[in-house]
Amino acid sequence: MIIEIGHFSVVIALVLSVFGIVSSGLALRTREADWVRVGRMALTLIFVLLSLGMAALIYSFLARDFSVHYVATNSNSQLPLFYTIAAVWGGHEGSLLLWVFILSAFSTIAVWLHWRTQPAIMPYLIGMECLVILGFLLLILFLSSPFDRLIPAPPDGKDLNPLLQDPAMVMHPPMLYMGYVGFSIPFSFAMAALLSGRLGEEWIKVTQRWTIFAWVCLTTGILLGGYWAYYELGWGGYWGWDPVENASFMPWLVGTAFLHSVMVQEKRKMFKVWNLFLIIVTFSLSLIGTFLVRSGVLTSVHTFATDPERGLYILIFVTAIIGIAFGTLMLRAHKLKSPIEMDSMVSRESVFLFNNLFFLVAAATVFLGTLYPLMIETWKGAKVTVGPPYYNTVFMPIALGLLFLMGVGPYIPWRKASRASLKKNFLIPVVVGVVSTVVLFAMGIRSLFALTGAFVVGFSGVAIFIDVGKISSLYARRESVNLLKGFLSAFTANQRRYAGLVTHVGVLVLVIGIIASTVYQTEKVVSLRVGDEFVIDDYRVKLERIHGVRGKNWSAQEGVFELYEGDTLLTKLRPQKRVYDASQTPTTESAIYAKNMGHIFLTMPDVSADGVAVARGVINPLILWVWGGGGIMGLGVLLNIFRPRKRDE
Amino acid sequence: MLRFSPILILLCFVSPIDGLAKVVDETEIDQKVREIAKTLRCAVCQTENIWESGAPLAHQMREAIRERVMQDQSAEEIRAYFHSRYGNYIMMEPPKQGINWLIWLAPFLLLFGGGVLLWREVKGWVTQTPASQPPPTLDEASRRRIERELHRNT
Amino acid sequence: MTRTTQITILVVLLALLSLFYQGLWGDPRHIPTVLVNTRAPVFEGPDVESGDPLSSKRYKGKVIVVNFWASWCQECKVEHENLLRLYDEFKDHPEFVMLGINYQDERPKARAYLQRYGSSFPHMEDVKGTLAINFGVYGVPETFVIDKQGIIRHKWIGPIVDDVYTNLTQNVLTPLLQKADTQVRSYEPST
Repeated sequence: MIIEIGHFSVVIALVLSVFGIVSSGLALRTREADWVRVGRMALTLIFVLLSLGMAALIYSFLARDFSVHYVATNSNSQLPLFYTIAAVWGGHEGSLLLWVFILSAFSTIAVWLHWRTQPAIMPYLIGMECLVILGFLLLILFLSSPFDRLIPAPPDGKDLNPLLQDPAMVMHPPMLYMGYVGFSIPFSFAMAALLSGRLGEEWIKVTQRWTIFAWVCLTTGILLGGYWAYYELGWGGYWGWDPVENASFMPWLVGTAFLHSVMVQEKRKMFKVWNLFLIIVTFSLSLIGTFLVRSGVLTSVHTFATDPERGLYILIFVTAIIGIAFGTLMLRAHKLKSPIEMDSMVSRESVFLFNNLFFLVAAATVFLGTLYPLMIETWKGAKVTVGPPYYNTVFMPIALGLLFLMGVGPYIPWRKASRASLKKNFLIPVVVGVVSTVVLFAMGIRSLFALTGAFVVGFSGVAIFIDVGKISSLYARRESVNLLKGFLSAFTANQRRYAGLVTHVGVLVLVIGIIASTVYQTEKVVSLRVGDEFVIDDYRVKLERIHGVRGKNWSAQEGVFELYEGDTLLTKLRPQKRVYDASQTPTTESAIYAKNMGHIFLTMPDVSADGVAVARGVINPLILWVWGGGGIMGLGVLLNIFRPRKRDE
Repeated sequence: MLRFSPILILLCFVSPIDGLAKVVDETEIDQKVREIAKTLRCAVCQTENIWESGAPLAHQMREAIRERVMQDQSAEEIRAYFHSRYGNYIMMEPPKQGINWLIWLAPFLLLFGGGVLLWREVKGWVTQTPASQPPPTLDEASRRRIERELHRNT
Repeated sequence: MTRTTQITILVVLLALLSLFYQGLWGDPRHIPTVLVNTRAPVFEGPDVESGDPLSSKRYKGKVIVVNFWASWCQECKVEHENLLRLYDEFKDHPEFVMLGINYQDERPKARAYLQRYGSSFPHMEDVKGTLAINFGVYGVPETFVIDKQGIIRHKWIGPIVDDVYTNLTQNVLTPLLQKADTQVRSYEPST
């Protein structure tokens, strides 16, 4: 019964989304404010109804109602409660419902939030959001409904894919979708600006926080995905350049370009068309990502569905949205000719342009790499693989270029940089960068990635450090306080700028973590019996015993390994080889010990019948910097979102 | 398959934990197998290499590599063997030949082409505005004031 | 925005659209083999049922149908009846040989499978999985046809059912068996 209520709510929501589109159209035609209010009501009700739909689905999972087809295919009576929540969006149908639910929530919030200040935008915003909601609801209700019954009900459900039974999977999809969907708000505002002809800077200022919010959600979602891959997939890596990962990375790259480029428009009223183009591309990539993941066009570890009908529908829908967006942009672009005034080649403006170029080329690279197998198959009927080695080779120079620009950008003045200011700002950073490369080289490090990385990180880091030092001492002297207090008042006085720099520092930390943990990873795989030990780096790992362990819905062979550094016992690591009851799927569970910001990562991929275990040890130096850097980036963004409002905002 | 280095065996005798413990280590063969396995794609998985994959076929492929390594075949020969059986699909990256140069060079061509285009465009914008044109006076005034304030405080 | 930019964007979007559209109809699991029209590898191993050694050398100069299967494979059960039918259809031809290769399996399970679903032609055990790798096998079932000169002429991934069966028997096997040096193009029906 409950699931039918949910189903019915979603059907009504579909009707209301048509209503929302129509009422916004009428509002624009008749100029009657009542129609906008009707639209707002429709959108709000859609949100309420989709919440009901979501709640009904969650309830069916918690009640273990296996007469619901989706529940029966994605959960099991023995599935722990925590992962039962993850199971709600563990499959194709539920994750689409989550997508559209978040979309309705965000658009409702946006409408109520900006209702007073942006009355002229409202009909466009409501109409656009309802259009996207309609598209997704049609897909959900007609091609992939999570509300279908399975009669007769099976006694028990198939299990949720054991790989998805992980804490990170509870949060990863919602975060990712909040990122994708969050970009729909600036996108809708941009479309409204285009359609209404209010092409000033207003839409950018209004949506600035939305953009940053979407960006931080997407970033967190991507990092959580990496964290999951690291713990759960058991090979000690966190990024595999898998098509699904790429699908989330592409909107991130263009979204980041947009985030920077809008600053130019705010400050200098330039690049209007360009910014509209960027936000359209960002949201389009979010949609294309959904298409790629959901249609089965690209096969990937995570692909859920292979169904041409579904894929065809998504393709038509995505094409329609992208077509509308680009079509409008093309038709209206001539109105946007803003006079471009540049005083010098060497200025903040041009650094931003090159930043954008690098981000777009990065996105194009990922795009090309992801689609290349499909292209080759279509043209030549042959299969080809584009795997991590390709991306690592090609992406590295682009990423390092971006990092370099990241160090340069904030210290080149707007309009024109004089030779003297360049020397003043960059002499020390360049020297430090060179010195850090030389030091690493002297330490015997020969990896090109690490050496150029050292220059770029040293350069950018020191540039930020000098900046913060200078401004802090300036404020400290002016207010006659100590340096720390000076720093704090400098920070709050220019919170937007320094919050941005905090994010930059996070990026640097992340990059150091990535370089160290990829270039200096050590790995060893040995077969050993109980009592045997092996040496990896400075550690000894000794297999103490192997025993059986029983979990709620799995049983496992667990190896107990003693980890020694010298003669000191650091810990006992307990990697497992699990078999999940319902699906009989085996998984390897890693055991991890953190030391010196790095990890000693141990898995036991195999145990033979005669008691010989295969153990795989990986030392990942500075891996915690990857997550730590992500955390600092997030902190920077929070400081940005919750900064005190200035009068002009 | 396990090779015991004399030093390591000595080490385990001085180990206070268990005098009888064997110290096991990777052999050169293991390392070569890993190196090769990391460059080949597990055919039944998606973008996972043979080394990282837990699939049975990947396991057998690792064993096949090991057998060939033990027969003293070079990494190139072994890769060529797998390539002859499975085609380009088995290689983790597209071989640098023929049409594949497109994907290897495209990022750099885009970067270079985009850079040149951007440079020329920006140059055009710069020359459009005479450099001597004074910035808006209000800006100048406030900048002076700011500088004055700053100097007073420093 | 200049006309050229507009046209570029349009062209790129249309190209992508058609690419995605094409991609929808492709089977992501379908991987064209590079082995068709190359010399078949030599393969040997124990007979699943009797344990006696079997070798492809014994079948030199004959048309060989090689079918990779496993007892754990669902699609193999689907096609098994057709395999028996196929063997019956051609078994009287002196130059026809059919051979199953049991892949990633355990001997007792494989034997039980053959007992249950029927066995008429010999099955070879792929002990280390090397036979499968030699044949560039991704999974089971996969079926190969080798001509009298020892060249692989045909490969099919997936079960031999319906028009795949008709195609295999009429367009591949019959011509190969009829002429001494037939050149058969690998032909795959559009399913």
